Amino acid sequence: MNETGASAAKTIEILKALGFTHVLMIPDSESRQLFDAVETDDTLQLITPCREGESVAIAAGLWTGGRKPLLVIQNTGFMEAGDALRGCGLGPRVPLRLMIGWRGYAGALAGKRPIDSAYTYTESLLRAWGIPFWHLMNDADLGTIEAMDRKAAESSMPAAVVTGYAFRP
Amino acid sequence: MIERMDLFRSLAEKRTDEIVVMTMTATLQWPLVSRSELDFDFLAFGMGHAGDFGLGLALARPERKTIVLKGDGGLLMSLGSLVTFGRYAPGNLLILLLENRSYEMTGAQPLPPRADFTALSRAAGIEGGGATGKGKVERIETLSVFQEALPRLLIEEGPHVVILPVVNNQPLPRINHSDHSGRIQKLRRALGVI
Repeated sequence: MNETGASAAKTIEILKALGFTHVLMIPDSESRQLFDAVETDDTLQLITPCREGESVAIAAGLWTGGRKPLLVIQNTGFMEAGDALRGCGLGPRVPLRLMIGWRGYAGALAGKRPIDSAYTYTESLLRAWGIPFWHLMNDADLGTIEAMDRKAAESSMPAAVVTGYAFRP
Repeated sequence: MIERMDLFRSLAEKRTDEIVVMTMTATLQWPLVSRSELDFDFLAFGMGHAGDFGLGLALARPERKTIVLKGDGGLLMSLGSLVTFGRYAPGNLLILLLENRSYEMTGAQPLPPRADFTALSRAAGIEGGGATGKGKVERIETLSVFQEALPRLLIEEGPHVVILPVVNNQPLPRINHSDHSGRIQKLRRALGVI
């Protein structure tokens, strides 16, 4: 498996081709290259709230008003934002598109101890909430973004890609 | 102090095509004075996030004002939102913070008594901030001053955060809400999104 992560530049091009208008993200170590790419892009509008629950509610408002936001959110923030995801996504059937950073994935695969509990609960939490998800580990997986986007649109429910490695430029 | 229903009546009289997002006890009393398709009941959509949802709407629909009726208890559940407003809130966002110093919906348990929501809003960067650099924080303590300010607030470029000390001496209607998805779809239809 290629452990270098996906290209931020290629990811941005896919997001624009799919018609995303806003990217809501709070910086984390793994997504920093994607953050920089969105920040310097002329088309996508970057919004950096203070906490992930805010991001979810802002995204729901944007979608209600006819825009197409993407939530880039580390698994820890995904867990923090649980009530907002329930109330602004799952309950009202708002097709939130999520890109979830899987903190702890690389360490767990490398046998690092102790295992980060953020790694342990990420997939099980997604399954518990019935949020379909795909793995986006490197450039070969970039097609999962479109699959996630299509699923969210067809089901009018949240869907996610999970990124296991830090983005490359 | 302003009687909340008097405030709502005054707002309903002047409101035209603005979106109104409301939460908690406002969802029980605002419908007594308004039946607009552009009213949005945020109750149970996410604790403390009505203003954030309103921010998203305001960004998406710059052609009209988005008014948010929310309480001080809810604000404490997402206090960082003030800082986000201070950076991103557009000129068409008007937040009316209904300050009753309590969690009224759950039995009027008191809030931390020394919290100063006006000072917090200013310290968050809203005054002179927001996306326009023209943000305003105002504290209005009487109905007559609110009625005088309202026509300006509805047309002036903001964003605005207006702190309104309120009391309620009217009986609260029972909670009787439509389903969440239906609320969202109703507003999207009213906005012409679908």
